[in-house]
Parts: sequence; C-alpha cells; structure tokens
Amino acid sequence: MKRISDLEIDEEAIVTKIFAKEPVKGRLLSMGIVKGAKVKVIAHTLARQTWDILSNNTKVALRDEEASSIEVKSIYE
Amino acid sequence: MNDEIKVAIVGQPNVGKSSIINALSNAKLHVGNFSGVTVEKKEVFLKRDIFDIKMTDLPGIYALNAYTPEEQVAKDFLLNEDYDIVVNVVDANTLSRNLIFTMQLLDMHKKTILVINMVDEIEKKGGSIDKSKIEELLGIPVILTSAKENRGVEEIISQIIKLHKTPLAKNKIFYNEKIEERIERLAKILRKSPHFKSNDVSRFMAIRLLDRDEDVYKMIHDLPIFIEAHNALEKMYKDLELEFDEESTTDILANERAAISYNLQMETIDLDEEEESLSEKLDNFLIHPVFGLPIFLFFMWTLFQLTFVLGNYPMNVIDAIFSETSSFLADFLPKGIFNSVLTEGVLPAVGAIVMFLPNILILFLGLNLLEQTGYMSRASYLMDGFLKRFGLQGKAFVPLVSGFGCTVPAYMAARTLKNPKDRIITMLVLGFMSCGARLPIYVLLVSAFFANHNPGNMLFFIYIGGAFLGLIVAKILRTVLFRGEPEPFVMEMPPYRFPSFKALAMDLWIKTKMFLKKAGTFIAIAAMAIWFLSSYPVDNKLVQNYHAKIEQTTNISKKQNLENELKAKLLEDSYLGSVGKFIQPVFAPLGFDWRLSIAVVTGLSAKEVVVSTLGTLYAMSGADETSKGLVSKMRQNVDFKAAVALIIIIMIYSPCLAAMGTFYAEVPQWAWRTFYTIYPNVVAWLLAFGVYKVLALMGY
Ligand SMILES: Nc1nc2c(ncn2[C@@H]2O[C@H](COP(=O)(O)OP(=O)(O)O)[C@@H](O)[C@H]2O)c(=O)[nH]1
Repeated sequence: MKRISDLEIDEEAIVTKIFAKEPVKGRLLSMGIVKGAKVKVIAHTLARQTWDILSNNTKVALRDEEASSIEVKSIYE
Repeated sequence: MNDEIKVAIVGQPNVGKSSIINALSNAKLHVGNFSGVTVEKKEVFLKRDIFDIKMTDLPGIYALNAYTPEEQVAKDFLLNEDYDIVVNVVDANTLSRNLIFTMQLLDMHKKTILVINMVDEIEKKGGSIDKSKIEELLGIPVILTSAKENRGVEEIISQIIKLHKTPLAKNKIFYNEKIEERIERLAKILRKSPHFKSNDVSRFMAIRLLDRDEDVYKMIHDLPIFIEAHNALEKMYKDLELEFDEESTTDILANERAAISYNLQMETIDLDEEEESLSEKLDNFLIHPVFGLPIFLFFMWTLFQLTFVLGNYPMNVIDAIFSETSSFLADFLPKGIFNSVLTEGVLPAVGAIVMFLPNILILFLGLNLLEQTGYMSRASYLMDGFLKRFGLQGKAFVPLVSGFGCTVPAYMAARTLKNPKDRIITMLVLGFMSCGARLPIYVLLVSAFFANHNPGNMLFFIYIGGAFLGLIVAKILRTVLFRGEPEPFVMEMPPYRFPSFKALAMDLWIKTKMFLKKAGTFIAIAAMAIWFLSSYPVDNKLVQNYHAKIEQTTNISKKQNLENELKAKLLEDSYLGSVGKFIQPVFAPLGFDWRLSIAVVTGLSAKEVVVSTLGTLYAMSGADETSKGLVSKMRQNVDFKAAVALIIIIMIYSPCLAAMGTFYAEVPQWAWRTFYTIYPNVVAWLLAFGVYKVLALMGY
C-alpha cells in the first residue's frame, strides 16, 4: 500500500490507516488527518524530508517519518 | 452585590481568540500566570447590567488528549476549575477540524457557546454558513463573528448573559449506539462513587475513560470503585476494538467525532473551493523546494539590514538630545553631587540605551510580522530538515528566532516542544541567539572597530555566527548527553493573513513602554550605582597634588593631560576600579582592561548595562576632549583583538538575570540549572581566548 511519503506534489489521496503511535496519532487526528479524510500533498522539501499536507482546509507540516506512517489509497478507488 | 459569571474561552490555536478578546469594548485585561506554571493567563473583566463577567482565556488547545504543556494547562482548567460557561471559538475556514474538539467539549455537557470566527473569509470566498442549522444540530447557541471587522463580538457578551439566565439545554451529541451503551454502563459504575453522582459528570468521565484519558484514569485510581471500573473498562476496550476493527478505542471515538463534524460542516457550510487560494499560490514560491530556503535567508538578511540602516537615523537624533540635555543641565544645575550623578552617571547611561530603542523596535516588528502573517511556521517547515541534522526539530525554530528578540519569551516559546530532551537542548542553546539587548553592544563595537565594513553585513554575520555556534553545541549536546531521535514533527501551517496593524502597533507600544521603564528604572539605578562606585573614594591628597601641578603649568594641553591623568588615577582607585582589578586577571588573557571586565560582569544583570557601563567608565576617563562620543573613545582605549574577544564573550556568555530566572522557572532539575549556569561562560571564555590568540598570531 501507498504511504503519503510515496505521493507526488499536488497528488490527492484518501487516508486508510494511521500507523503512527500515540501521541503523534492523536495530534494527527486532531488536525483532521483521520481515516477517510482526503489529503493532498502541497509541497515537500528538496530531500523529501519535510512534507506539507492539505487536509480539509488545514495545512499540516510533517516529517518523512510521520508521512510514511500514514497509509493512503487513490481517490478513484 | 453583582451576579458573577465565570467564563472559560477555549479554542484551537490561531482561531482568532486573542483578536476577539482585543475587540471587546470596555473590558479590563489582566495578564498573569496560571498558578504553579509559567503559562500566560489572560483574564478579562467586564460589567454588563448587573453582571460581572470574568473571562479566562485558556491557551490554544487542539484536543483534550493534551500534547503540549500549554494544552495540559487548558485541559486541567477545563476539568478541574469552577466556571459557568464555555465559549468555544472556532475558525470557520476549518470548521470540521475545529468541531472535533467541540465534540469533546460538549461531552462535558456544560453551558457552551460556539463562536464561529473569520466568517469574513468565508464570505469573501462567496460562501455562507447556516447558523440556525448548526444551533439545531449541536443544541447550543452559535455566534458568527469576524474579529477583524469587529462583527458579532459584542453579541458574545449578550449571549453569555442570556445563557446564564436559562437552564442547561439537553445534550444532543450521541455516539454510535454500541459506544453509547458502554458509556452508560461505565457511567453507572462511576455513579456509585460520590465524586461522580451527577449524570453529566459520570457520562463525561466515562467518555474520557473510553478515550483512554490518563488524567481521568488517575482520578479514579484511588477510588473504591476502581477495580470494578477498571475491569469493565478493559473488557470494553477489547470488545469495542474488535467490533470496530480498530487498534484503540481512542481511534474509534476520534473517527466518530470526525464523521459527525464532517457531516455537520457539509450540511451547514455552502462553499465550493476548487480554485487555488492565494495562500497556496504564495506557498508555491515561499516553500518551493529549491527557492524556499534562499528566500527565507533573504528575508532574514533584509530584516537585519533594516534594523541597522533605518535604526541609524533616529539613533543620532536621540544621542544628540541626550548629550545636549546633559551638558545643558550640567551648566544649569548647581554644581555638586546631584549634578554629577545626573549628568555624568544617569543621563549618559540611559541615553546610551534609549538610543537603541529604534533598532530593537524594528527587529521586534519584523519578528512579529513573520509571526502574524503565518510565515514563521513556513520557516519552521523549511528549516526542519536542516535543524534535524543538529538534533533539533523544525518547531525549535520559533523559540530560536524569538531568541533574537528576547531570550525570556524564547524560553517560554520552547514549551511547544513536547519532548523534554528536545526542549532542554533547545533551551540550552537559546542563549547563542543574540537577543535584542545585545544589539547595542554589537552596534557600538562594530562602529568602533569595523568602521570600513558594511555594518549591516557585520551584524548579520555576528547573529548568524552565533546561531551556527548554537547549532553545533546542540549537536554536541545531543550526541553526548542524549541519544535517540528527536521528537516527531507535526505542525499546523495557518493560512497567510494580512497582519493587523492594530495588533502590531499595540505590541510595539507595549515593548516600548517596557523598554523605557527598564531604562528609566533598572538601568538608571544600575548606572547610578556604577557612578558612585566609580567616583568614590576620593584620594584628597592626590587631588591636591594634581591641582597644584595644574596650577603651575601654563601650557593648555599639558593642563588638559594632567587633568585626564588625575581622572584616570581616581577612577582606578575607586571601588569600581578595585573590583575591576580584582576580576581583571580572569579577563587579562583576552586583553581586557578593568573597564571591559567590569562591563562584562555587569552585563550579567542585563545586557543593556554593558553599553551604559562603558558609557560611564569611558566618559569619565576623559580620553580626548576633541573626540566626542563613546565610539571614538572605545577606539582609543581598546585594541582590536580585545574588541573581537569582547564580541565573542557577549555572543555566548550567560544571558541576563531575567532570562536565567525564566530558565530556572522552566527547568526544575538542579543538574540542568547548574550546567546551564556554568557552561556558556566557559565556552565563551575559551573561544574568545582562542580567537584572541589567533588574531595575535596574524599580527593584529
Ligand atoms: N480575516 C480574519 N482574520 C482574523 C480574524 N480574527 C483573527 N484573525 C487573524 O488570525 C490570526 C490569528 O489570530 P489570533 O487572535 O492571534 O489567534 P489566537 O491564536 O486564537 O489567539 C491573526 O493574524 C489575526 O489577525 C477574523 O475574524 N477574520
């Protein structure tokens, strides 16, 4: 399965599972990154180390570690 | 006796809570601390009709599953304090995300008002919000506001009063029946304990327990019902997780709340948002993978250039005003101690400081602008990859940059770092970010010793050099003292917003007031003390001797020389001179004379004092009558190597007492406090010594 860290800039996807442990998971949830939420990659840094994700009008910055802990599926599935 | 209404204002960060509070008219604002912790507590007092309304502004909180120390403060308040009404402020742009937290608040079943702020932005996008529908669905009053346009803010007050008079409405938020069934069962067990007699409290506690809230779990831990509740809870966790196929009941509740919130937003906000917002367009440049970082560095560079170049104009004016006033008063007032204290001690010292007010204000204005426009979080995003290499994380960027303004708030800003190790490392290196109060010292030394370089560049170099040193130290601390990955990085990036000039002006005004107050009290007193210490004791014999010599000579310049010699001798024999000589051996390897040594030590009380001390000491040394101003006097009395060593000492050694006090308040462990108190001074001395020696080898 794909992770957010596999997406390209401007690509959209639906969150299917969050593998991050608490308390990171709770923080992601309270930012609106929950199962079923639509996310879009706005930007990542050159080394793909930090990610900027848009979810439901909220932009969230994540590190590679967190981005790869969020499983997503294509919006067309 | 008026009727008192206690209100708690809560909301996620950046929803405009402070703007709303600022927009309330006839309100008395009181800023203090929450007891026991150094989290800022804003209280607003209002009188309307027969009601005294007391509102407490809680720190921004994303969810009741507290994450940062500030969120913990807000949560503790909500759970344990006594209040009548909750005002929950949310951002209309991100309603569904905000409502997830609102659901958690509604679990408490207290009188609640939902304030949906920033409606102007929704309207601008051509959208609309169905207020009565939200009221109906949530079962609480809703107010649409725009703090920016000052709309709806007064309605909050009238609604508070109205709600105060009406009985509590029925709860309308229910979860999936499988969850509700468990909540009811658990609540029943809890009700056996006298603490949770009421249906509302027991229901709320049951939900919190199912949400795996550790604070609430601790609350029931010592109660007689604990075993029963615990066993029931364990079974519920297991069953629910199986039934919903989720890892944890926390997730189940989160998903439930997210679903309810999302539907609510869908039903009540009419807005199609396909087009790219301005914010996104800006981000295409500002956080561009390649150009983002250079743009950011350019912004910082510009800020320092402006600080110096623009600050220079008013600086000369202020300098002139103070020296004119001094010399006027020196002639006008009767000769004597008072005259001398004022015109030789206090005025030059205070003037030397007030001169730098423009520089400091420009720097603060710049930092505030970055914060208010939302660019600061972009900078954190850009810097994260870089900071990670030094064992810090992107969020540490905000305290680090605030450190350029003032170390005290910077220590407080470090609270956003949840992981104690990240936090302590960040705090330990914060002193390397030269604060605004150190700016005057640099400006003075740069003007005196690097006159033929671009001063803006030199300042930029000093600031960046200090920051870089700090990063290296962070890396060393991380590898020597702590191993392990830095804390995860999850940070909201609020949309770009046009800054509010009122807020900027207000902040600058508060800064100016505080600065002038400090200059007028603390620094004036310090200057007075230094003046007295440097003027006494007077060796009358010496004075008579010299006066006799001066009488005898007819040559004017010889007279002058003798007078200067006398002044210098008196100063050397003064109390301050003795202290300086006593500590001078420590600084002698750096080429400091006793005056510089004293200035450095007095700088521990406040960095502003360094310049004012130098001002007093060199003003009295009466270098050369033709050379006015501290700059040229410094140039005559201090050699280049020592000046560079002094810059390095100032860059690194302990910050002021206020900052140290803040660090002590934030860090309870004595081991860290001791380390913090000693190591910067050792590093500063060693580095200054090294550079001094290298410069000496190079023939300076
Ligand atoms: N357009 C608009 N901007 C607002 C409104 N209220 C606040 N802001 C801006 O939103 C930002 C965050 O506001 P602030 O009061 O600091 O939020 P707090 O963190 O909740 O205290 C600031 O830039 C405000 O100028 C509003 O009603 N409309």
